[in-house]
Amino acid sequence: MKDVMGVIYTGESDSRLRELTMLRAIAALPVAGRYRVIDFLLSSLVNCGIRNVGVIMQKNYHSLMDHLGSGKEWDLHGKHDGLYMLPPFLTRENMGVFSGIVDALRSNANYLSRSKQEYLVLCGSSMIFNAHMDEFIQHHIDSGADITMMYTKLPSMQRDEYGTYLAVAEDGKVTDLEVDPTHPSYPATFMHVSIMKREFLRSLVDKGVAHGQHDLNRDIILPMIQAGHAKINAWEYTGPAWRIDSVQAYFNFSMDVLKTDIRSQLFPEDLPVYTKVRDEMPARYGDNVTCINSLVADGCIIEGTVENSILFRGVRVAPDAHIKNCIIMQDGQVHSGAYIENCILDKQAVIKRNARLIGPSAYPIVIAKNVVT
Amino acid sequence: MMRKKTCVAMLLAGGQGSRLGILTKQVAKPAVPYGGKYRIIDFPLSNCTNSGIDTVGVLTQYQPLELNAYIGNGASWDLDMNNGGVFVLPPYQKGKVGEWYRGTANAIYQNMAFIEQYHPDYVLILSGDHIYKMDYNKMLNFHVRHGADATIAVREVPWEEASRFGIMATDADDNIIEFAEKPKQPKSNKASMGVYIFTWEKLRAYLTADEADKSSSNDFGKNIIPKMLADKQVMCAYMFDGYWKDVGTIESLWEANMDLLSTPMPIDLHDKKWRIYARTPGYPPHYIAKGATVSGSLVTEGSQVFGHVEHSVLFAGVTVEEGAEVIDAVVMPGAVIKRGAVVRRSIIAENAIVGPGSFVGEETGNIAVVGHGINVPAGVSVKAGVQVDEETTF
Repeated sequence: MKDVMGVIYTGESDSRLRELTMLRAIAALPVAGRYRVIDFLLSSLVNCGIRNVGVIMQKNYHSLMDHLGSGKEWDLHGKHDGLYMLPPFLTRENMGVFSGIVDALRSNANYLSRSKQEYLVLCGSSMIFNAHMDEFIQHHIDSGADITMMYTKLPSMQRDEYGTYLAVAEDGKVTDLEVDPTHPSYPATFMHVSIMKREFLRSLVDKGVAHGQHDLNRDIILPMIQAGHAKINAWEYTGPAWRIDSVQAYFNFSMDVLKTDIRSQLFPEDLPVYTKVRDEMPARYGDNVTCINSLVADGCIIEGTVENSILFRGVRVAPDAHIKNCIIMQDGQVHSGAYIENCILDKQAVIKRNARLIGPSAYPIVIAKNVVT
Repeated sequence: MMRKKTCVAMLLAGGQGSRLGILTKQVAKPAVPYGGKYRIIDFPLSNCTNSGIDTVGVLTQYQPLELNAYIGNGASWDLDMNNGGVFVLPPYQKGKVGEWYRGTANAIYQNMAFIEQYHPDYVLILSGDHIYKMDYNKMLNFHVRHGADATIAVREVPWEEASRFGIMATDADDNIIEFAEKPKQPKSNKASMGVYIFTWEKLRAYLTADEADKSSSNDFGKNIIPKMLADKQVMCAYMFDGYWKDVGTIESLWEANMDLLSTPMPIDLHDKKWRIYARTPGYPPHYIAKGATVSGSLVTEGSQVFGHVEHSVLFAGVTVEEGAEVIDAVVMPGAVIKRGAVVRRSIIAENAIVGPGSFVGEETGNIAVVGHGINVPAGVSVKAGVQVDEETTF
């Protein structure tokens, strides 16, 4: 039993994901053939022994709630602790919609005070990685820091005008932090995972709210770094990680998962990734099919040609249909004679007979949920 | 006190299934993998949950470890309930007496206390040997409508095969007038499926009497059913005409897997109204590499194919390396077919490894089997019909 709890904030900005996040939070975005973005983080937390996880929901949280259910798939349905869904709610002091993570934590002050764990891992939900969280936690406890922030040096995680970047001294101390800079000045990208004592976070939130602050990093942690009276450390995560913040980023992540060496790092045997189970039979391949460099989930029926693609559960590829560099979410259908390339089909989308859809690889076509083309 | 249940199911899962050879050396027959992601027991358990029967006792005795772990708390079949659910029932000590299950009827007799907790009106007896989708609730309605004391599910088999089964002769009202176990001259082609519904009061009386009869072999087919017939109890035959496959031998297990590769599938496993549930290991989707060829096959999550797979069933976490060929084969969870190996008309059991360049099975002839966790060395050949286990030398 770990004396650590987790809180996942799922209210990140998602405008560049276009139709993909029209009806859902990034956390609920389907990825890698059978998962949702949040599964990786949630599984990392659970795999290191955390048994109390709060998921703060902000908007479009229906599909996220539907996915998480009772938390059973992550073994988070115990009598003590487990999974807590924390959607916004109205009270006299509470305006409903959160205007940032500080507000969200303040609204859920009861949950924070009622929880018993000494430490709290606070996470965002728009990044995909599969970390040994216990190493991170142990490092924090051993170092005696007030806060430890997880970062990566992967250049692919840097964005102009977006993200939080850390200046990390040789001793692991964070000496500066920038939020949404025009160009990041530091190679260390904050992964929106930090650990601190639960009571410490509560005091930060109380102070922040009293001063009208909304952004934890810029308004609260940065002044602490500058004042130098708190010990704020950084811990480097060296595995693969992705920031799912645009259609292009989503597409690139998907194509990366087709690489066998990447998959073995994202799905190591000792860190399984749990997700909601849908009892589908194994995928069925017809007699004259071509399927290369693709990930195929259960319940698919493949009778056409599939290249460099990811097929989620229950996808049908008809005879003479050809799909290349595509991501086809749950129950999508590509009818006979159709050719599609560089497309992302949201759930239950249908490509009709003999249709041709070719997107530029730098700007894949997104077919929204339930659309028939 | 438990709430009353109309019908409680008892699943006889204690048999070794010795005709499955080395495949049941380490696991009980109901735990044998089938169809890419299932185990045989998933079919009766899913049928129960889909039929609205939520209280199931699973009687185990032979190699129960894997079966127990597989069933767990029953959540995979929605059988994790406060009132009812799935229970594994091994033999246990009662006072000074403790004994193994001596026969199918004795196994139920020894668990009468379990059944009594629910005060059921009816008891459904199942076995873990067959692949089929069946609505037990329809059969129960039939049983109630006919005011039967016992109802036996039957299916029509080809006349020439009838002498291999327990055969029921019936009258026009589906009453069983004669039961013959493997008759030389069958009077009917209605064969018992090993699925029975009994009115519990009646069955309890017969089980108690059967137990007192020292000459009885305590078996449903040999003792209970003939005795009830002789006593002119109301015995009905319930016709079932769906897919039903006995998977009690290596050949029939292989065939039942191959059945899933024909179009249309003789048993529809895509049916959303009658899902077959299974415990899933939680792997990522399967991966078909560049240069791989897959046709006419079933492949499931966690597998990686770099070679050639044709008309085969691959279970979770199977690897087929580059240049390997898998044809007309069943490859069970975690098995690895190494570079350049050729597997034909075979069953490769869980976590077995077929070494580089080896040959297992042949284009024709009997099915070859590589046992659980067996490592077939590089460059050897395993002929048709051969079963490879720890003692096999190359």
